[in-house]
Amino acid sequence: MIQLIIKRLAIAIPTLIIIIAFVFGLMRVAPGGPFTNERALPPEIEQKINEAYDLDKPLIQQFGIYLSKIAKGDLGPSYKYKDFTVNELILSGFPISLTLGISAIIISLLLGSLLGIIAAIKRNTIFDYAVMGVSLIGICVPSFVLAPILSLFFGLYLGFLPISGWNGGNIYNLILPVVSLSLPQIAIISRMMRSSTIETLNSNFIRTARAKGIPKRRIITKHVIRSSILPIIDYLAPATAGLMTGSIIIEQIFGLPGIGRYFVVGALQRDYTLVSGVMILYASLLMFLILLSDILRAILDPRVKIK
Amino acid sequence: MQTILNVNDLSVNFDTSQGLIKAVDNISFSIKKGECLGIAGESGSGKTQTFFSITGILSDNGSATGIADFNNVDLLKLTEKELSEIRGKKIGFIFQDPMTSLTPHMNIGNQLIEVSMIHKKNTKKDALKKAKEVLDIVKLPRIENLLKKYPHELSGGMRQRVMIGISLMCDPLFIVADEPTTALDVTTQKEILKIFNDLKKYKDITIALISHDIGVISEVSDTILIMNEGRIIEKGNCKEVLTSPKHEYTKHLLSCVPEWMK
Ligand SMILES: Nc1ncnc2c1ncn2[C@@H]1O[C@H](COP(=O)(O)OP(=O)(O)O)[C@@H](O)[C@H]1O
Ligand SMILES: [Mg+2]
Repeated sequence: MIQLIIKRLAIAIPTLIIIIAFVFGLMRVAPGGPFTNERALPPEIEQKINEAYDLDKPLIQQFGIYLSKIAKGDLGPSYKYKDFTVNELILSGFPISLTLGISAIIISLLLGSLLGIIAAIKRNTIFDYAVMGVSLIGICVPSFVLAPILSLFFGLYLGFLPISGWNGGNIYNLILPVVSLSLPQIAIISRMMRSSTIETLNSNFIRTARAKGIPKRRIITKHVIRSSILPIIDYLAPATAGLMTGSIIIEQIFGLPGIGRYFVVGALQRDYTLVSGVMILYASLLMFLILLSDILRAILDPRVKIK
Repeated sequence: MQTILNVNDLSVNFDTSQGLIKAVDNISFSIKKGECLGIAGESGSGKTQTFFSITGILSDNGSATGIADFNNVDLLKLTEKELSEIRGKKIGFIFQDPMTSLTPHMNIGNQLIEVSMIHKKNTKKDALKKAKEVLDIVKLPRIENLLKKYPHELSGGMRQRVMIGISLMCDPLFIVADEPTTALDVTTQKEILKIFNDLKKYKDITIALISHDIGVISEVSDTILIMNEGRIIEKGNCKEVLTSPKHEYTKHLLSCVPEWMK
């Protein structure tokens, strides 16, 4: 297990460098720079600013400077939010995005798996058709369409829930964004779980369990789930990626001061360091989740040899 | 001798998209206590579904009619819950494919002990003691070690021995062995058949041995049923049927057995 973690970390670092290089390159290729304004600056001043931010140096040298700073945990100054470093900006928004993301992923996993299992056990009943029907809608309707509809109905029409703002992490403020973010994932996960549970239910070892006279409930909890949950474990990282991109939009719609806006604003304003910083954070999180799902898989499935 | 299983007018149907499939067609037979009944016939003749229907483990699209008196209880009239209290406790089952018939994520020990912990309300300690006992009967070595192993760490032959062990956990009256040696190599086959012969000798267990291979059946069985297309073609004493078959189909089946095995 420890070997697996060390191995993954060793791969993670070069992967991150490649991602940083990619973002770095992409930002420079895009026309304009952080200090390009409608009104041209006097050349001397532009020269001074560029010097201050190392923008006058050759690209490869800029990249080297940037990398060495990151290695020390310094994501650099923001080019656009004057007086803020990228570290400060991310630290201010990250707890909000993390709360949103973790709530959404936990709800998606729990509810999606549970609905999928019940639909599989009660397949071809009203419950199964209802879950599969609703989840089909959930897959087709993206969260940025769902969010305004939910806001309109629960927020404005019924007036139950606040439709925007963070409000210090008040649970009522979280409900609508978390629900809009989770529903598409619940839809996907419940379908995956349903089909893998049906497959497991039809397998020979479940027939053995039945022939052993094991009560239904115990067959599900002890024999079925640990096998049928495996595809969901593999889906953990892709689901997180989906939630990350979803949350960028959801945070905008619900006016949440997470890091999603820095990603959008940073890209639009050529705030090189800010965009890279957010990217590095997202990429590290994703790699962590891939590692986590590999560890979980190894724990759940004894056939997986950890090398 | 006392009859332990008495099957009358048993039919099994499957509801499929192509219509109703009659897998077992109105068959009747009985097994005496302590006897080993061999069920022979080519694949698809309804051998497996006969015993799946009796024990209530048919696929969802299957249904059975008729009477199956086991120990004077009609199994076909029982609810799923009542049946599950008989399966594993009074009737043990051994399946054809040992590679896929054990739960991959549960260790051998737990797969064994859960049977007697559920049916006999045994403590874990007593169940473990019983597990070691049955693993000894099926001649598995290094039992302590084995209990902690997972199915993928064992060979096919070892897994099939574990399956037999599981079926013995509650000292059943009756064991159904559905093609128990079909997936195994010839040497392992012989060893497994020896276990069945030992069980007959020392445990007085009633066995239904299903096989498409008459050679396998002739090594263990006292009586035999020949099935074809869901019907019983011929039944009787195993030696008599095999040496002087009355029915054309039985002769045909026997002609498929290599000369040296007779
Ligand atoms: N779930 C099912 N749905 C439809 N037909 C089935 C099903 N299970 C078995 N059958 C059919 O029942 C017949 C008897 O099968 P079986 O008892 O398994 O044969 P065997 O003698 O080889 O054990 C076969 O023709 C098979 O196709
Ligand atoms: Mg069969």
